[in-house]
Amino acid sequence: MSSESALGTVATRGVASGRNTWRAIRGALGRRDGGTLFVLAVVGYLAAYLVGIGHLDWNTGGTAFVVVDDPLARATERMAPYQYEPVALVAAGPFELLVSPLNVLLGLGLGLLVGANLAVSWVAYRSPASCGLGSGAGVLAGFPALFSGIACCGPAFLVVLGIQATAGLVAAFQWFVPLSVALLAATLLWVGRRVGTQATRPDQV
Amino acid sequence: MHHTRRGVLRGLAAGGAAAVGGCLGGDTASGDPNAVEPSQRSSSTTAGETAAPPTADEPRHVAYDHASLRSNVVSGGVPKDGIPSIDDPQFASADDVDIPGGDPVFGVERGDDVRAYPQYILVHHEIVNDRIAGDPVAVTYCPLTGTAQGFERGETTFGVSGDLLNANLVMYDRGTDSRWPQMLATAIDGPLAGATLQEFRIVWTTWRAWRDEHPDTRVLTEDTGYVRSYGDDPYGSYNPRRRYYNNDVTFFDPLTEDDRLDPKVVVLGARLADHAVAFDKQALLEDRVLATEDAETPLVAVADPDLLTGYVYANPDEREVTAEDGGYAVGDETHEPAALPLERVLAFDSMWFAWAGYYPETSYVE
Repeated sequence: MSSESALGTVATRGVASGRNTWRAIRGALGRRDGGTLFVLAVVGYLAAYLVGIGHLDWNTGGTAFVVVDDPLARATERMAPYQYEPVALVAAGPFELLVSPLNVLLGLGLGLLVGANLAVSWVAYRSPASCGLGSGAGVLAGFPALFSGIACCGPAFLVVLGIQATAGLVAAFQWFVPLSVALLAATLLWVGRRVGTQATRPDQV
Repeated sequence: MHHTRRGVLRGLAAGGAAAVGGCLGGDTASGDPNAVEPSQRSSSTTAGETAAPPTADEPRHVAYDHASLRSNVVSGGVPKDGIPSIDDPQFASADDVDIPGGDPVFGVERGDDVRAYPQYILVHHEIVNDRIAGDPVAVTYCPLTGTAQGFERGETTFGVSGDLLNANLVMYDRGTDSRWPQMLATAIDGPLAGATLQEFRIVWTTWRAWRDEHPDTRVLTEDTGYVRSYGDDPYGSYNPRRRYYNNDVTFFDPLTEDDRLDPKVVVLGARLADHAVAFDKQALLEDRVLATEDAETPLVAVADPDLLTGYVYANPDEREVTAEDGGYAVGDETHEPAALPLERVLAFDSMWFAWAGYYPETSYVE
């Protein structure tokens, strides 16, 4: 087989895998349990991510709303790899939120991937054709990004845990977000490829 | 802990979070023992952000060669200015803030201009580019080494490079982009490599002690131009002392390990021409007077019980210094701890591991 035709085969399989995954996602979200799981996962992951990077915390003061001067410019200022300046502080009820628009979008994107993983995995788990895929498959892939926050100098989770940092570890933690994205996409494709067709068949679920 | 936030936020909400106006003016410094040592004043600067910071005539003692230091610089995981300095600081009076009395503040007194910089704000910014008594200065703080130091900045400003050396903040000046490890006060990289900054004393004390001593003090507010969870210290707490400030984890390796003391023991460190001396701060506050023994340059340290700090003096004639009620007897007279009739040597608080890491030959007095 020539390299050209091999490439073509890989591309064809990739497209097919993507179609299957897309079908699996649509099928999973079309079910009540899958849809509910998806929404809960997106919201839950977004909250966990914001807590992880230190933008969501308990509110120990009163109600407040503050916006920085020139929020558009401030929003793109980088604090750390994949972490951007908050442009507002919202404190209300039990929660205090530092609003960094880019991090909210990033957390939402990761949450969508986690939600899709969880919903499709759930469908796969319920499907006889899935060979017993666990419902948590792929969700663990979202974990690295939860630990991508910084605490002034260095990864926040190391500080919290009181763990010695090394130059290699500090260098590695900037890859936590891309690592999460890659793992989530890979697991989604992996699960989706197996259940894409079956998930849309009512008789199989 | 959340301190003054709500009060400040109300003000911000009404007027927007934009920092307004310049810094407070004031009298020029005169006869202030906390000010820059006269022998250190030297080069002038040109106006503008391209200016270099003023440097000292004589370099500080540095125990390592610069190439070795440069090779030990590590990334703290944040980009340049990822930890933003406060470049337009706003102040309030002592009565307008609600800071727990035991919280640490960094106090500066220059002429009639007295200011306090709360640790819980500086832990999120590390550098404040300010004007005190009209003089452009940088008040700097490194949470990992527990060091607060003041520098004359001329017409430039300092920022946080994102790098660390010996777990210590590496600053850069925005005029020349030279790299200045805070505790060394000496550039190890860039156009000003080898130059030494002009330093001034910052008093690490508690808000209660500083406010009682200086009721007219102005206090840095949370109106920094940035939104942060002020009151949440990512490293732990000083009031009470917890987590990083109280455990043995140094987070980043020091240049040299020295197990004479636990890593986070606080010492009052002084650098001389060719060596360094560390006084145990707790021992100093208890005994009130500590002196070096058999030193080429005898030093004596005295405690200031009111401000919970100490001062170090060169004592070449080894004059007797005795603690008395209300001060210290030197000869026939009693003097305030900050005003002994001896030559003051700049000293600052530091965690032991950081001090010993930079100055492995340091003597230790307890």
